[in-house]
Amino acid sequence: MWWKNYSLRLRALLFRRRMDEELQEELQFHLEMQARKNQRYESDTAEAERQARLQFGSVVRATEQCREQRGVSSIEVLAKDLRYAFRMLRKSPGFTAVAVLTLALGIGANTAIFSVINSVLLSNLPVKDPQQLVFLTNPDEQGLEIGFGDGDRDFLTYPEFRELERNKQVFSGVLAASNFTSSIPVELQAADSAANGAPARVSLVSGSYFSVLGVTPILGRAFGTEVDKLRDANPIAVISYAFWQGRFGGADNVIGRRIRILTTPYAVVGVAPPQFHGETVGANPDIWVPLTMQSEIFPGRDFLSLETKPFRKTEWLQAIGRLQPGATLVQAKTSIEVEFHQMMDSQTGGMSAGEKRQFLNQHLAVVPGSRGASRLRADFGKPLQILMAVVGLILVIACANVANILLARSAARQKEISVRVALGAGALRLFRQVLTESVLLAAFGGAVGLLLAHWADTALLRMVSSSSDQIRLDLHPDARVLAFTLGVSLLTGILFGLAPAFRATRVDLNSVLKGTSRRVAGGAVHSGRVPSGKILVIAQVALSLLLLVVAGLFVRSFRNLCATQLGYDRDHLLEFWVNPLAYGYQSAAILALDENILQNIAAIPGVRGATLADNGLLSDTDSNSPVTIEGQKPLSGDEAHARWDMVGPNFFSTTGIPILAGREITEQDSGNGQRVGVINETMARKFFSNSNPIGQRAFVHTTAGQAPFVVVGVAQDSKRHSAREKALPRFYIPYFNPITDDWTAGAAILIRTAGEPSSFSSAIRNVVKQAAANLAPVTMETMDQRFADSLVTDRMIAELCGAFGVLAVLLVCIGLYGIMAYATSGRTNEIGIRITLGAQRSGILWLILRESLLLVLIGAAIGVPLVCAAGKWISSLLFGLQPADALTLASAIALMFVVGVFASYIPARRAMRVDPMVALRYE
Amino acid sequence: MPPDSSRLDLLQGTLDLLILRALRSGAMHGWAVSERIQQISQDVLQVNQGSLYPALHRLEHRGWIKAEWGISELGRRARFYSLTASGRKELEIEAVNWSKLSDAIARVLRMA
Repeated sequence: MWWKNYSLRLRALLFRRRMDEELQEELQFHLEMQARKNQRYESDTAEAERQARLQFGSVVRATEQCREQRGVSSIEVLAKDLRYAFRMLRKSPGFTAVAVLTLALGIGANTAIFSVINSVLLSNLPVKDPQQLVFLTNPDEQGLEIGFGDGDRDFLTYPEFRELERNKQVFSGVLAASNFTSSIPVELQAADSAANGAPARVSLVSGSYFSVLGVTPILGRAFGTEVDKLRDANPIAVISYAFWQGRFGGADNVIGRRIRILTTPYAVVGVAPPQFHGETVGANPDIWVPLTMQSEIFPGRDFLSLETKPFRKTEWLQAIGRLQPGATLVQAKTSIEVEFHQMMDSQTGGMSAGEKRQFLNQHLAVVPGSRGASRLRADFGKPLQILMAVVGLILVIACANVANILLARSAARQKEISVRVALGAGALRLFRQVLTESVLLAAFGGAVGLLLAHWADTALLRMVSSSSDQIRLDLHPDARVLAFTLGVSLLTGILFGLAPAFRATRVDLNSVLKGTSRRVAGGAVHSGRVPSGKILVIAQVALSLLLLVVAGLFVRSFRNLCATQLGYDRDHLLEFWVNPLAYGYQSAAILALDENILQNIAAIPGVRGATLADNGLLSDTDSNSPVTIEGQKPLSGDEAHARWDMVGPNFFSTTGIPILAGREITEQDSGNGQRVGVINETMARKFFSNSNPIGQRAFVHTTAGQAPFVVVGVAQDSKRHSAREKALPRFYIPYFNPITDDWTAGAAILIRTAGEPSSFSSAIRNVVKQAAANLAPVTMETMDQRFADSLVTDRMIAELCGAFGVLAVLLVCIGLYGIMAYATSGRTNEIGIRITLGAQRSGILWLILRESLLLVLIGAAIGVPLVCAAGKWISSLLFGLQPADALTLASAIALMFVVGVFASYIPARRAMRVDPMVALRYE
Repeated sequence: MPPDSSRLDLLQGTLDLLILRALRSGAMHGWAVSERIQQISQDVLQVNQGSLYPALHRLEHRGWIKAEWGISELGRRARFYSLTASGRKELEIEAVNWSKLSDAIARVLRMA
């Protein structure tokens, strides 16, 4: 029933005018009826009407009384409170500006981080009924895998997908998409802009892709399953909205236009809707082409045919099914498990018992797919949670500050409040009114914060995007983000408004109105209890200490990462990738081209050395194979594996990896003679513990069979791919005497320059162009840059936490200063007496400082256990130090004490200089 | 309007009871309510027309009666009031209370 009453009141509030009109009509009707009745005795109409009005009495008073009946509803009170609060805030613009800005920073930071969390961790894909989607593959992985491991599969092979696609028992459709969106140069036909030929991200998808997702192009059409029938027969593409806008300028006639990817022209058939960014969050492909075009996009390789050798299977597809109406995830799991197992079983012919056991121990983990795939979840999940906690703390600290200002203000407003109490305002009414003021303040803060958040998100994405890998996220505030901001603002308003609101209800009416109220240190009217202002400052100190330690740990961890010795000299070292295979070159021609490029680069003046490596430095690719040593018992299982790479002549001298024994790989090792190899320290220790490895023969076991090499040198351990990498057994064999012809990703050319590396880029491009005119322009990166890119997440956390740490210290400083200044000014009288009675000035100084330091001490004592708890949570992201790092903790505590002294120094000095005569006359 | 000595003024709260009682026989507009009260009481109770409407609005806000716009017997738009379920309950309670009270007062008057 309450809601009915409520709706009536809401109506009364919103439709005041209309209700008044209705009331007038109702009363008018009454008068007319009465006049009609009167006409029975009174033939004169005018007289009858006059009589009716007389009988009724004052229409105005009746109207007014009726209006009053609508009552003072809670909504009306709220509206009044809001109007009043608004006036109060406008009356003190300085306070309002500071409070709103403080809150806007806090709420904005929270909204910004939450938007990213929402986009990466929470949002459903913008497709039809996303909750019906299930992944047959691992949504947290992106990439391509060759061979197989046991356990849950990350991806599917193409034939496996085609088989599972036929499952109509539980799925109404199954789609597949290549899970690595490659940046490939794309040219628009008949376009002549500078951006032509710029790389775009291409994703290969099954014909069922758009229909299963339920995505309808806004222009043109999507391709359907007809493209799955024939290979290389459907050079058509659906392009993203962003690509359409960016490269075609949003032209209407885009349908039917052609775009050239590598050597093949594709006809544009459709433009995807603006909110659709594919099945992988953060990947944002520009162009979708049919899976059957694989050999055009990745020339020289065949990912489509059924590969009978299990160790050569290419798993490269993310598969998503749409559940039949009524089908459950459990049913889908069971059905897929059975089918997949049968499929695996049918492929075990010719395998050894061990291989077969391992091969059959593969599973598909069928998981809910409404949020789509993303590696960002694994990469940024934890950092985002930490950042969310950090900005949450910042907001709480900021709240404490605003609460403190409000408390001080409410002390100044005691008189006003007392008058209101004297006039009959109830405690609840006052409580509500003060709270309304804080919530309004927070709402303003939230509104400004929302604007700040948008700007902060753009900056944040720029921070985490490395130069080569742009992360693109759709961060438009959706309903969830708006609800979050609204919720946080309300909560904030209530949080910092509670203390002042309670204060308002506890006004000592008599003393205030008589003007004898004495302000007590900390601002509490009632002595004998701990003033709420001090509690707030203690909380601030505790939380800031926590933030400072966390920030300190991340900054120091990042320093450690930066200072990591990689084992080679990354200064003045350039790298670029060439992939001749993608342009139709075959094995011997590839080697010839690489050699040609290397020789010509080495001839450029100022180039100190040039070499190449199959897997590059600080890249994502690595090779891992079992190794046996001639005359030794093979190690078992994973122990037998070593990482390896094929490197060009002078790889070690060019990169600066020291050779500890023997020699490095040189030109004389090229060709088809006896293959040599260099191993690292760890490999020497592990595989040749008791003997000198130089001159011994080893065998690499790869998909191509076993290949021998003779160890000619031992190199120092180096971190090939990341600063966090642990030393692993690793060996190097000559690129120009390869053990497989399984060229996949091209090779990285490494150049050591004498001068500024970037000044060589045009000369190097020329060399490549002269060697092979049809190769796309190469993208050069310095190793310094790549190293910085590899630490992009760590840098983001360190920088943001550091900045928030500084902010927290600043806020505490202000909070502490406010409390101390306020408390000291309240003690002027007391200090005057102390000085008169002979207290030393230094004693007075200490009196004030002691109080401030006590607050810091209590805060720190509360903060330390918090730090310990938080340390465990963040330890996995730290490098080279323990979460319980004594130095960090000690520095943070010391800093808090410095803050304590600093913040109370000015009030203390003021107290010290109190003139006893003035002080005694003070009140 | 000056009080008429032959007619009784209504006690505070009594008007509410009378309105509720009048509406028991069905929905009616404000004028009809005042006529009906007068009619049933054989003109002894005179409803102050000016205070009838605030009372109607008060009862509406308490949820005991509800109002709807309808067409009057003469074809004019009028606001019709009718009892709600809680109004019906209230009427029963108040009627019992009233008779208790009036019995008690009558007894006191007889004894004194």
